[in-house]
Amino acid sequence: MKVEVSYRKKLQQLKASENKKQAVNKLEGPDSESSMRQGITENTQRDKPLNPELVKAASAVASSLPRNKKQTESELLAQLRRHEETTDEQKKGRTINIRNVISEMTVKRQSPAQWGARISSRISLQLDEDGQRIRPERSSTQSMDSRSLKVGKRLNIFTKASTEPEHALKTVSSPTIWDLEFAKEVAAVTAQPPRNGFEEMIQWTKEGILWEFPIDNEVGMEDDAEFHEHIFLEKHLEGFPKEGPIRHFMELVICGLSKNPYLSVKQKVEHIEWFQKYFEEKKELLQEI
Amino acid sequence: MAAAALCWALRAARQVLPLSCPRQVRSYHVDWRMLRDVKRRKMAYEYADERLRINAIRKNSILPKELQEVADKEIAALPRDSCPVRIRNRCVLTSRPRGVKRRWRLSRIVFRHFADHAQMSGVQRAMW
Repeated sequence: MKVEVSYRKKLQQLKASENKKQAVNKLEGPDSESSMRQGITENTQRDKPLNPELVKAASAVASSLPRNKKQTESELLAQLRRHEETTDEQKKGRTINIRNVISEMTVKRQSPAQWGARISSRISLQLDEDGQRIRPERSSTQSMDSRSLKVGKRLNIFTKASTEPEHALKTVSSPTIWDLEFAKEVAAVTAQPPRNGFEEMIQWTKEGILWEFPIDNEVGMEDDAEFHEHIFLEKHLEGFPKEGPIRHFMELVICGLSKNPYLSVKQKVEHIEWFQKYFEEKKELLQEI
Repeated sequence: MAAAALCWALRAARQVLPLSCPRQVRSYHVDWRMLRDVKRRKMAYEYADERLRINAIRKNSILPKELQEVADKEIAALPRDSCPVRIRNRCVLTSRPRGVKRRWRLSRIVFRHFADHAQMSGVQRAMW
C-alpha cells in the first residue's frame, strides 16, 4: 500500500528523515545496547517510540498533502519506523539474520515418493571408469555463512524433540511395487552397452551366463543339513511294517542313500516317501500274497 | 529408511532384470533328428527318478515276484521317449550320429577342422 506522493514531497521526506536519523542515532546509542542484551526482535523496535522531531516532520508533510491528513500521517510514520529498523540492522552488521529466521521455521515433511525422487536424484547410477559411482556435486554447506558452524544460537534440530520425523519415516514398509518398478526403469535406462570385453564379461557374470572365478564347486548347492541327517535315516521308516521283505528292502534303500553324497536330504526324504506311497497303493496286492 | 529401501531395490533390480531374461537358449537345431534327440533327453530327465525307483523294485530278489511283475508292467507303461537308452550322442554342430568324441561332443570331421585351425584349446597334432 503506497501513498502517492509527488517527487517534491519525496525529497522533503528524505531530507526530513536524514536530518532526524542523525539525531536519532545519538539518542539510540544506549537504547540499542540494552535491547541487544535482551535479544533483539522486531517487536521491541516497533515498541520504541519514534523521535518527536520525526513525528513533527511527518505531521508537517501530511498537512501539506491534499488527501486525508491523518491517514497519510500514520502511513508516513509506519514507513519511517520501517526505515529506522532496516538502517539500525544494517549498521549493526546483521543483514539477514538467518539463524533467527530458521529457528522459527519447522521441518517440512515430504511423502515417501518425494523422498525417493530426491534421493534418486542424489544417487547417480553412472559408473566411473574405476567402477565407482560419480557423486553429484553438493554445494558446500559451509559456504552459506562465512562464520563457523559452532558459533551461534542452537537450532535444536538434533535433539529429542526432533525424533518425530524419524519415526514417521520408519513407518514406511518394504519397497512398494511402484518403487520396484521405478528401480527397474532406472536400471534399464542407465544400462550402458559394454565398452569392452571386460565389461561384457561382467555383464555375463551378472546374468549367470559366465561362472564366477575362482570356481566354487558348491555354487547352487545349499545343503544346510548336518551329516547325521544324511546318514541316520531310520526315523523316516516309521510308515513301513516292521517285519517282512518290505522292511528288508527299505533298510537296503536307506543304507544306499546314507552312502550317497550327491543327493540333498530333501531328495532322500522324497525318495523314501515315494516308496511309501507306492507300497500303500499295492497294499491289496500284498495282502493277497 | 526409504533411502536404504530404494537403494536395495535398485541393486536388486540391476541383478534381477537381466536374470529375468532367459539364459542361453538354443533355437536352432541342425535337423529334425537332433530335435527329437533333444526331446528324448528332456523326457528322460523328467522320468529319471521314477524309472530308477521302479527298477529298484524290479531288480532285487527280496520282494515277492508278483510285485516285481506289476512293476514291470508299470515301467512298460511309461512313455517310450522317457528311457535313456534312446538317447544318441550326436555331434552338436552337424548332428552326425557316428564318430562323435564324447569329451567335445563333436564329430570327428568337425573336430579335425577346428583343431587344425588352432581353435581347440590344448589339442595338438600327435607326433612321436
